[in-house]
Amino acid sequence: MSGRRTGQVLLMLAGLIAWAVQFTVIYGVTSTLCGREWADVTLLGVGIVHAVVALATLAALIVAALSFLGSWRIHGGLGETAAAPDRFISQAGILISGLSLVVILWQGIPAFILPACA
Amino acid sequence: MDLKTTRQGLPWRRTVTTRAAAFACALSLAGCSGVQSALDPAGGDALRIYWLTLIMTLGGTLIFLLVTGVLLYAIFAPPERRAWLGGRRTIVVGGLAFPIVVLSGLLPYGLIVMRDTDVPMPGALQVEVIGEQYWWRVKYPEEGGKSEFSTANELIVPVGSPVTVTVTSADVIHSFWIPNLGGKIDMIPGRINRLSFTAERPGIYRGVCAEFCGDQHARMAFDVVALERTAFEAWRAAQEKPAREPDLPFLSRGRALFRAAGCGSCHVVRGTEADGAFGPDLTHVGSRRTIGAGQFPNNIGTLAGWIANTQHIKPGVRMPSYGSFTGEELRSLAAYLESLK
Ligand code: HEC
Ligand SMILES: [Cu+2]
Repeated sequence: MSGRRTGQVLLMLAGLIAWAVQFTVIYGVTSTLCGREWADVTLLGVGIVHAVVALATLAALIVAALSFLGSWRIHGGLGETAAAPDRFISQAGILISGLSLVVILWQGIPAFILPACA
Repeated sequence: MDLKTTRQGLPWRRTVTTRAAAFACALSLAGCSGVQSALDPAGGDALRIYWLTLIMTLGGTLIFLLVTGVLLYAIFAPPERRAWLGGRRTIVVGGLAFPIVVLSGLLPYGLIVMRDTDVPMPGALQVEVIGEQYWWRVKYPEEGGKSEFSTANELIVPVGSPVTVTVTSADVIHSFWIPNLGGKIDMIPGRINRLSFTAERPGIYRGVCAEFCGDQHARMAFDVVALERTAFEAWRAAQEKPAREPDLPFLSRGRALFRAAGCGSCHVVRGTEADGAFGPDLTHVGSRRTIGAGQFPNNIGTLAGWIANTQHIKPGVRMPSYGSFTGEELRSLAAYLESLK
């Protein structure tokens, strides 16, 4: 795979990777903090668990949004003569990062409704 | 109090719930109101779980029918009429937008139900329940000058005030579930779990073991009685007292037999020398609605039957049958137990 293709595929998958990282961070940090009873620590007045979830969600959203915009721009810039794989990858990138935005949001919602270590 | 009281709906949202329940019953063709039914909620938690169930079931059914309908259409409709199904718009609307909208609604709804259910309340009545093969040890710990006591296979709660049940197990995993009042909570040996709920209408309900725990798992139930505050306090005061002294020769004979047969090596009767902690506390066994973990109504006949045929009634249970009493002995022993109000 050429360097250009690798970059394209990474861009296409960036949303999913961001989701995976957010997932791991949220689950790992929540269970570690709650298990060790550090859940009462606060960060700028916000409970540490909720703060971590919010930050991880925000970071993942930014990555997925950049991936979405990047794929969108590339797709829009493709000419009539563009190769089929380029067309496919950029289109898949739009779809994947768009869906990643939704699931990253879903993943973060519980922090706004439930107590930290319920 | 009779069963009728349990049939009265909650004052709030009563008509909607009743209508929805009637609909659900019509669907399932089963009796839905009653002492052991999650479809006849008698408390806020049970009501929330009930609505969640209703929405998920009806919503799931509707979506299933819709998808099946579209599938059949895709298979059987003439090509020119079904062409729109393969179009980009159908895929974006039906395959992306629709699930995203539905799930974005259900997720917060489910989380809110979770947040509002099983919430520990300050000042809740504390009760400890221990699951044992195949019965429930129920302890009311000392509280505000009222002393601790134990009972079995019954949970008496004051209506309208929060209760927190602390559960664990003495042997295998059991699960504590009162369908009319709330969700389930596992009883795990060596671990303490908690469940909080409030009974909002007076009545008699039934709890069950909801985790297979051995041969007699299906015969492991308990009575739940939600009493008005004054009646509850009266019950509690009566339970705190030691056992009644037999006031008839017939009953004294029963007590002597109880002692001679060694029942006291497994059963406590407070105020007597019987102090066995293995089986249910029998200090006020006569005041219970049922015996054998919800198996029989409590009266002299069933008590005598239980003592003589324990292993026949609940094979494998941890109390031997006492088949060698004469009829007269059995009657006086049972009458003695029945007198322990
Ligand atoms: C080896 C211990 C043991 C002995 C001895 C024993 N029991 Fe039991 N008994 C139990 C256990 C365990 C249960 C709970 C059974 C179940 O799973 O429902 C029980 C239940 C009962 C119950 C029902 C209580 C309730 O609230 O449901 C009665 C009544 C009773 N026993 C009476 C007697 C009498 C009377 C004797 C003596 C003749 C006796 N028991 C001897 C262990 C014992
Ligand atoms: Cu059980």
